[in-house]
This record gives sequence, structure tokens and C-alpha cells, in this order.
Amino acid sequence: MPDVTFTVDGKKLTAPAGTLLIEACRKAGIEIPAFCYYPGLSLQAACRMCVVRQEKVPKLQTACTTTVAEGQVFTTESPEITQARKATIELLLGNHPLDCPVCDAGGECELQDMTFRYGAGESLYTEAKNHREEQKWSPAVYFDRPRCILCYRCVRMCGEGMDVWALGIANRGSSAIIAPNGGDHLDCEQCGMCIDACPVGALTSDTYRYKTRPWEMNHVSTVCTHCGDGCKVTLGVRQVDDGAEIVRGDNRDKSGINGDFLCAKGRFGFDFVDSKDRLTKPLVRNAAGTLEPVTWEHAIRVVSNKLKEIRDSKTENGGGSSIGVIGSNTGTNEENYLLQKFARTVLGTNNIDHIRTTDYAAFVRAMAGHEHRAASLRDTETAKAILLIGGNPTEEHPLLAWNIRTNFRHNTARLYIATDSPIKLERQARQTLSLPVEGYESLTAFLSGDDSALGEIENAKTFREAVNAEESLLVIFGQEFRGAAIESLVKWGLAKENVKFAYLGDYANSRGAADMGLSPDLLPGYIPVTTPGAFAEEYPNLSTQPGMTAPEMLDAGCRGELAALYIVGSDPVTAYGTDPAALKRAFVVVQDIFLTGTAALADVVLPAASLYEKAGTVTNTFGDIQLVKKAADKAGVKPDFEILVRIAGGMGADVKKLVPFGRGSITVPAVTAPALSVDFVPTPRPIPSLRGIHGDLGQSRGAHSGEADRHAVWLAARGLELRLSPFDPLAALDEIERLVPSYKLDRLNLFAGNDVHSEPGFVPVASLTAPTAAELILPAHDGLFTSGVLGDHTKALVELNSYQESISQPVAEAAAD
Amino acid sequence: MSIARNIAGIAKGMSITFREMLEPTQVENYPDGPGPLRGAKFEQRFRGKHELQRDENGLEKCVACFLCAAACPSNCIFIEAADNTEEKRISSSERYAKTYNIDYNRCIFCGYCVEACPTDAITHGHGFELASLNATNLVMRKEDMLVPVASLTAR
Ligand code: SF4
Ligand code: SF4
Ligand code: SF4
Ligand code: SF4
Ligand code: SF4
Ligand code: FES
Repeated sequence: MPDVTFTVDGKKLTAPAGTLLIEACRKAGIEIPAFCYYPGLSLQAACRMCVVRQEKVPKLQTACTTTVAEGQVFTTESPEITQARKATIELLLGNHPLDCPVCDAGGECELQDMTFRYGAGESLYTEAKNHREEQKWSPAVYFDRPRCILCYRCVRMCGEGMDVWALGIANRGSSAIIAPNGGDHLDCEQCGMCIDACPVGALTSDTYRYKTRPWEMNHVSTVCTHCGDGCKVTLGVRQVDDGAEIVRGDNRDKSGINGDFLCAKGRFGFDFVDSKDRLTKPLVRNAAGTLEPVTWEHAIRVVSNKLKEIRDSKTENGGGSSIGVIGSNTGTNEENYLLQKFARTVLGTNNIDHIRTTDYAAFVRAMAGHEHRAASLRDTETAKAILLIGGNPTEEHPLLAWNIRTNFRHNTARLYIATDSPIKLERQARQTLSLPVEGYESLTAFLSGDDSALGEIENAKTFREAVNAEESLLVIFGQEFRGAAIESLVKWGLAKENVKFAYLGDYANSRGAADMGLSPDLLPGYIPVTTPGAFAEEYPNLSTQPGMTAPEMLDAGCRGELAALYIVGSDPVTAYGTDPAALKRAFVVVQDIFLTGTAALADVVLPAASLYEKAGTVTNTFGDIQLVKKAADKAGVKPDFEILVRIAGGMGADVKKLVPFGRGSITVPAVTAPALSVDFVPTPRPIPSLRGIHGDLGQSRGAHSGEADRHAVWLAARGLELRLSPFDPLAALDEIERLVPSYKLDRLNLFAGNDVHSEPGFVPVASLTAPTAAELILPAHDGLFTSGVLGDHTKALVELNSYQESISQPVAEAAAD
Repeated sequence: MSIARNIAGIAKGMSITFREMLEPTQVENYPDGPGPLRGAKFEQRFRGKHELQRDENGLEKCVACFLCAAACPSNCIFIEAADNTEEKRISSSERYAKTYNIDYNRCIFCGYCVEACPTDAITHGHGFELASLNATNLVMRKEDMLVPVASLTAR
């Protein structure tokens, strides 16, 4: 649309023709109050708060529905407008309870703000207010009817945004009320989006209700620990007697990769942090065979002495290769990197792996050398055409589903779906194809032109024609694809122009675990151990012999061929169904937040911090890297990073070699970030001697009274911050950036809380050889309210899960009749 | 000349001194006076140790709105809120203060909290003997400040 010029309050503004006046004003810093308008949802014009005066128009106009055109003249503040808004508020307050002191919204309520601004706090009505009791609609959502101002944001959010349509309006006129689909309860996805959209305190959440007030919390933005989409979540943390407690999750500032979206898991699933089952003391198995609480010093001494003894033993069942290490899908990149470095340089073994939920190695292998072909999660919101093969985003990748729906609504994106069973997103699809369960590989062949590959399936040909006719395409595929199947699918797409790929995997940092080299045969950045390149120099005594995979390690442990197993944040014994008794002979160390099946049989259990209690970075399944910040605090636990450094130190390793910290730790990355959004372009240059750079503490560091800490920004942009502690995970990030080709980070954006996309295209092609074994992949298939071990220990999610099951039961029966 | 004036000035000053010396004493005879207050007397407006009030049903008036804590210039009020349940009703509203501490090491008795309170739950009482040799004793808890139910019926 061409730009038009119009006048608002005497200021000349320019915006594309057809922009909503309210949006154009907001961009120009002119605030127009609004209750019913919500960016991204359909227009309602129900509240009349946004009224403005337009020249030559007899009545006041609603800014939320007026589109701008050339030469228009508007006034947004005048006594007349103030009076109109005041009257609107007065009517809204007619039956409003005014219980701001107890209301959850108090302090961040739009009605409260507007009453404060325009007055009308005193009501002219003398009638008694009509009180209604608060209703509990579901274990997550509560409704306080008198507080509702009927803006219909919740109705539109649930219907348009979530495509659930669980909320509606009952009755008419002055008796209109918001009503849930179940009559007195909600049968929905329990995302809580309606609560967030509500401008007042009418919809409240069970987790946050009456607990505290907005200004009493610290708001920490970090990354959701549940699925592979990696939503940015702002955790409200309050001080309690024994540390800090999380009381709320939301993303109301609409920042980050997910805008304002969060699903039930990100919004309500944080109480595992305070679960009674949390491990808070190190446990060591005593002579009687039971796990006994000990001090951290003792536990670390036991582990490091024993590991050292095994590593240095010259017997047949000794040496580094008799130790196995299994890493985590939910730890940070820095921890994963450190874990494999610890295994490879300190323990001297390539027996390192994680429970793979997705075949990222095969994906990256297929993408290697092809830059700009890997999609970021942001692409799913703008792509013109999307081909979804397998997977069920609504259940397993709620944010992806939200983005696709938004894209469909705003840009009429064309969605093509090929799955073996119907999924909810088909409601937005232009064409669907129903595949046989084993038909995914044949689909690639069919798409590439082999007519007989799929056999007789309805619409298959028209589906193919439509897909092939697309000028640009975003191909999103699920865990149905592994190994060679990925390769052929990507090959089909790479042959066409403008095709991008995304591969759907589980857990908050499964991608990071693979990227950081938690594999027996691949180093960080998917460099094979057989040709380690730069790592040969970086990692002293690195063996070039690939090690054992996780199931192999457990089998070897059961046969008594493995002297020690070191397990971080994962439960392989349960996952692979190993017989616990058979592992008796191995020395098993487990670092975890709960006493999992594996931890229960371990010789030493070390209580670890969860993702909400530490800092670092994580990578979502699309390869978008984000910063994790410490929100909660728990006495007794330590981050995996610190535990590893302490154990390495206890084993006599040079900690400075493991984590580059202190003086001389700074090395400028060879390639700088591609698009730095500041006005200088840093030239890649080696700084020969950094002896001049000392910890520049005090002085210009530390932002005072809202002023940006420019010195820190400058240092961060150049990767020059001095790392003062061996427990600083960002020291490991410096090294990752230096050594991992696909992690060239735009630090300014990363530290500002934005996502930075990694580029698997940077992985050198020549070095990739062996494909991974497809049977190693164990997808988790967590749904809307489950999240592996974490989900089992999250009361809010367990409750929601059983609630949804209990209410959907009768419906299923009715359908069966 | 000036000497005479100086002497006159001193004499005038001293006359006031001697006159006042012979008047009956005006200060309160605290702590040696009679009665439970040992001679201390208060104006009604005196701002002493806080009291947390109850309503006519004996429920706590405080609804844990945190406004007093927000108003407090020395940041000495610590509140933890919790919601009332049918079985356990503490205040008349949905929320009550599970923890309510005032740190008298920091309180400057400005009365802002009293002014901020929308439910008249917190008031300044007349308690003033707050000195202690142990600073931790100066953090008063809800139980230390809440008026007893008995005092309601007595009134
Ligand atoms: S919804 Fe807003 S105005 Fe109404 S009681 Fe709550 S805070 Fe006050
Ligand atoms: S929780 Fe989500 S799905 Fe349920 S009613 Fe609210 S918006 Fe709709
Ligand atoms: S419940 Fe909230 S969002 Fe829904 S109509 Fe009422 S005020 Fe608006
Ligand atoms: S579970 Fe996934 S979609 Fe839901 S909030 Fe967390 S990252 Fe986002
Ligand atoms: S004492 Fe008054 S101001 Fe303070 S929290 Fe209680 S009700 Fe609110
Ligand atoms: S915001 Fe325009 S009418 Fe409600």
C-alpha cells in the first residue's frame, strides 16, 4: 500500500494507506486508550474508549476501526473527547465492584489506569450493585463476572487466536455475559491466553490468583523449559521465606519469538520448581546400600576420586573408555558443551550421548553447505506457503500451531498437510493428504515425480500439483522422518528455489544437545571425531575413535564392561527399559532435579538446578538460540555447569583449560555476527595481547536510573566481557562461538532477549559421513499437558491433564453411540 | 553604658530562669509515674507501634493489597498473600495476609501505610517501648500486631 500523510493533533504522520488509525498513532507515540482493540484480532468497536474527532465528520470516530487516508485531520485529546471517554468509564463502572485492593489486575488493570486518567471514579448510580460470585471454570481459569467490561477480547482470542472457540456471549444487551462452552466449565486447551488478553481482572488464573501484586514481583524473562519451540516466558518471581518462588508466567510485553503466546505448559507449568520431590541434598550410597544425604564437598570428593581412579586404572576394565556419559535434553548449550568437553578431555572418552528424540544429525548433514535454507520459527508466521508433513503442532508444538494460524488469518497463507491421522490444523489447510503410517518416505518419491510411489490415495495428484506450483515453500516435517528419509526429502526441496526446512523435535534443548556434540561420533557443530580439525588442538588427548551410543553404554554397563556411568538430567534406565539390578556393578553418578528411575539406582546423586534456576542459552528445534536467565532460587541445588567444573577440579584437571575465564580468556571471534543492528560494523580483528584489559568493574559498568549501560553493550557486541568466574556459563559460550561453525551469534540481539538463528548451512559438508542409526531416536510425543519427567512433577499440569480427560470422556461416549 | 545594658539583659534572662524554676514541673514523670503507662501521656494522634485491626465479625481487615508496603518510604513492610478458602476464612475478602511483618529497625513512623490502607486495617497504636538490644526482635510479625479478638467484645 502507498504511504499517505495525515495530521494527528497537529503532527504530520505518514503510514501505509489503510493502516488503522490507532496503530499509526501508537507507532508515532500518540497513545489512544482502547479496551476492546487487541492487535492481531478482529475489530470489535465495542467499548468506545478510542473515540477521536475527525475533521468534517459530524460524530466522534473510533480510532480502532478508522483507516487512514491522505489528508485526514484528527484530534485525539480535547475536552469533548475527554468527556466522552469519561462517560464511557462511568457506564462501565456502573456495576463494577471496585475491589482493586484485592483484584489480581490491580496495578496493571487497563480500566484502573483509565479511571485514574479520566476520573469518573464516583458513580452517579444509587442502586445497589449486582454482585455475582466468582466462578471456577477449570483448574486454570476463574471468572469474576462483575469485573468483566464485555470487551470480547477473550472471545476473539480463544476463537480466532487459539481456534478453540470455547468462550462465547450469552444473553443480550445489558444482561450479556461471557460464558464458557461447558455451561459452567471450560472444555478447551487451557492455554490461559484469554486471561492474558483480559484488560481487567475478570479472568484470573489459578496459579497466580490472590498470591501477590504485580509490583511486588521481579519479572525475569527466560525461555520455557517444556517443548522444542522455546517460547520466551516472563516469570513473576516473589521473595519468600526460603528463597525466591515463581508465581506467574506470561509474556505480556509481547517480546521475543512468541509475541504474546504461551501454552498451558509455559504459562502454568512451573510449580515443579517447588515440588516436594525435588532433590535438595547430595546423596551417596552408604555401606548398607541406601542413599544417604551428605555435604556437597563430600559428594564431589567421592565422585572425583572414583572417576579419577577408574580413568587412571590400567586394568582391563579401566581407563577413560570404560566410563560412559549421558547428557540432557533440557540443560543449556553451555552445560552440554562443557559436559562433552569434560568427557572428552578430562575423562578421556568418546562414550558420550543423550537420549535422542530427533535425528538432528541427519537433518544437519542434509543441510550442510546450503545456507539460508533452514527456517527460523519466525518464518512460520510469514511464509506464503507451508507444507507440513507429519507431526501434530497443536499438541506437540503449540507455538508453531499458533504461528501457522496467525499466518493463515493475516496473510491467508496456504497450508498443505500430509499426515497419517487427522490433525487439528487441517481446519486451516488448503489441501490435505492422508498417508499410510509407513508412507512418509514414499511421499518424497511421489513429490519428486514417482506416480506409483504412494499407490492409490485420493487427491494425491492435485496435492502434488498444488505444492509444486508454489513459488516459495516452507517444509516442516516431524519425527516420522529419520536418517535417509530426511536426506531424500531435503534433497527434493533443495532442488527447488525458495524452499526452507524445519524439523520438529521435543524438549527445550534437544537441538542444543545435538548441536553441542553430545554424540559418540560427533563433536560440537557436528564435526566428526574421526576428523576433529580445530578440535585436535583445542582438546588435548582427544581420541579419534567414536564411542558408544547411550543404549550401548547401558548394555555394556549391564554386562559389567563399563566401570562408571555419568548421567546428567536424563533417565536412560526408564527410557531404554534397562534392568536396574544389572547395573549394580557400575559406579553410577546422576545429576538431576528428581529421583528418577536412574537416580534411584545410582551410587551418587547430585541435586541439580532446573532451567528456571540458571543462566545460559538454549536452542529451539528451529535452531533459534535464546538467552536463559535465572528466575527462581532453591537452597541446596547447583547448576549442572558448576557441578561439572567442581568435579573436574576435584579430579585435578586444569579448570582454566576447561572453562576459559579470567585474564586472557578473551578471544575475538573470527567471523562476526552477520547483521548487527547497531550503527557500527565491527571489523574482525585479532587483539594480539589482551593484557591491557582488566576487569573494568564499577566506573561505567552498571546501569543507573534507567540509563543504558553503554560500556557493557559495547563489550557485549564485541564479545569482550571479561569472565571472572569458572562457573560463568557465558565463558563457555565464548568458546562455543569460536569453535562451532553454525553458532555465529549476534550478541547484541541475544543479550537483549531476542532470538538469534543458527545456520546449519555453515557446517562443512566434506566432514560429514556416517548417518546416524534411525532406531536410536525415541520421540517423546508430549501433549498439551505432559512434559516428560518435569510434567509428572508439575501439579498444575497433572491437574489440568486429569481435568481434561475427565470432561472429554462423556463426549467420546456420546460420539460412539 | 554598654556594661549596664549587658547586666540588665542578663538579669532579665535569669529572672525568667528563676521564675520557671519555681513553677511546678511540666514534663511527664515517665517511667516513674503512676498507672500502667508509668506516667506516659499521649495525644490521640501519636504514632506508635502499628496495630492490625479486625472487623465487626472478628475477621482481619487486611486484604493483603500491598499498598502499605508500596507506600512505605523505608521499605520495611513485608507481606505474603494467600487466598481464603471456605473452610479457612481469615479476612472478609478473597485474599488475606499470610505473613505481615514490619521491620522496626527501619520504620520511621511516618504514617504513610495508614494513609494508604484502603480498608483501615493498619493503624498506628500507642505502643512506644520498642527499644531492644537485639535487632532481630524488632521485626514484628502479624501475631505481634494483630488486635486480639477479645478486645473487640470488650469494647
Ligand atoms: S478489574 Fe481493574 S478496576 Fe476492576 S477491580 Fe480489578 S483492578 Fe479494579
Ligand atoms: S484457556 Fe485458552 S483455550 Fe481455554 S478458553 Fe481461554 S483462550 Fe480459550
Ligand atoms: S472477561 Fe475480560 S476479556 Fe473477556 S470480555 Fe470480559 S473484560 Fe473482556
Ligand atoms: S511448551 Fe512450547 S509452546 Fe508451550 S509455552 Fe513452552 S515452548 Fe511455548
Ligand atoms: S494493611 Fe491495608 S494497605 Fe496494607 S496490605 Fe493490608 S489492606 Fe493493604
Ligand atoms: S478500542 Fe475502539 S471501540 Fe474499543
